[in-house]
Parts: sequence; C-alpha cells; structure tokens
Amino acid sequence: MSSNYVTMIVTLVIWIGLFFYLLRLDRKIKKLEKKM
Amino acid sequence: MWWKILLLIWICGVMVAVFLLPAPQSQLGEISRIFFFHVPVAWIAVLAFLISFVFSLLYLRKKDLIYDAKASIASRLGLLFVILATISGSIFAKSTWGTFWNWDPRETSIFILLLIYGAYFALRSAVESEERRAALSSVYAILAFITVPFLVFVVPRIYQSLHPTDSVINVKLHLQMPPPILITFIASLLGFTLLFIWIFKLEFEINKMSNKLTEE
Repeated sequence: MSSNYVTMIVTLVIWIGLFFYLLRLDRKIKKLEKKM
Repeated sequence: MWWKILLLIWICGVMVAVFLLPAPQSQLGEISRIFFFHVPVAWIAVLAFLISFVFSLLYLRKKDLIYDAKASIASRLGLLFVILATISGSIFAKSTWGTFWNWDPRETSIFILLLIYGAYFALRSAVESEERRAALSSVYAILAFITVPFLVFVVPRIYQSLHPTDSVINVKLHLQMPPPILITFIASLLGFTLLFIWIFKLEFEINKMSNKLTEE
C-alpha cells in the first residue's frame, strides 16, 4: 500500500474517532434537553 | 464561539501544512507525516491523565465532587486519546514493520496504560456511594498517574525499541527538529490541545446539567 494512503488512513482514523465521540456527546445533550 | 471557528481554520491549516511544509523523512518517506497526528494524540492523552491527577489531588484536599467529575472526564478523554494513538500507531506499524502489533516497549507501555485506566472506570462503576466512589477513584487516579511518566518516557528508552526514541526530545532534553517540522508539530499539538479543551468543557457542561436534573 502506498505511504500516502497509510497516512490518509491514520488521519481518518483519528478524526472519525473524535467525530464519533462528539456525536456521543451530542446525543447526551439532546437527551438532557428533552428531560428539561 | 469565535475561537471554535478559529480552531476549525487552524486545524484545516495544520492538515494542509502536514502534507506541504515538511520534507518527508529520508528513511520512512511520506509515511513519516503520521508523526504530526500520532504523537500529538499520544501527548494529549498524557496531558489528560495529568489533569485527572491534579483534580484527584484537589478532590482529596477539598472534598468537592466537582473536582471528582473533572478528574473522571479527563481520564475518559485520556482513554479516548490513548485508543486513537494505539489504533493510528498499529496502522503505522503494519505498514513499516509488517505487523499491527509487535510488543515493542512503547506498544507494551500503552497497552498497560489502557488496562490501568480501564480499571479506573471499572472501579468507578463498582462503587455506588458518590463520596466513596470519588475518594477511591481519586486515590486510584493519583497512583495510576505515577506510572505514566515511567511507562511513557522511561520504559521505551531503557529497552530497545522499534520506535525512534529521540524524535522529539533527545537525551539532553533538547528539541531537535528542523524549523518546518517543529512549526508543523507545535501547530498540530496546539490544535489537538484546543480540541481537547473544547470536548472537556462540553463534557463538564453535560455533567452539570445531569446533576441539576437528578437534584430536581
């Protein structure tokens, strides 16, 4: 596999990981807003 | 709000700079650019564990549950960044050393760190009383952090490692990078740090809101 692809995959893994964490936070906030 | 927009622009700038500014390292080639993402993520994990350690100390001193909540959030984020560093590192390992996992000293250290902080959350979920949970997990977080400098900075330098041991700081504690690499690295580190602060603040707000709801 070309090194540029590996670099791209690593970058994507980090940003997708952070995105899903933020998505989880977003869901938590929505749940709390509904309760309020 | 303005600093969040600035952060987005900053991170976009870092992403472009990583691929355009520094020349690829002579031995590793283009894959060396992973350094600008993988190393800051690992450093943020250490920073998060340090913050957890400080808030745990503050809890034991002042017995205020806010400090315990902050320590728990910092540990959770530390664990997230350790997981990201492990996954990104193992993809790099597959491409450079042939396998995803080599039990290299740094890989072993990060695995132990994952277990230690995984156990922190197991402990937290096992204790029902808030005060007791806060006290026990504060003591645990303090003890856990004592292992961090040893596992992250000492072990990989004692044993032979596939990782470059002095790519950021050499044994004389001097930064040894050419300016384009140093600037891009610091910019990436700053971007990830601000992102960490943002997520930390969001988590803390959620914690405050849910506490308010349970009180009502």
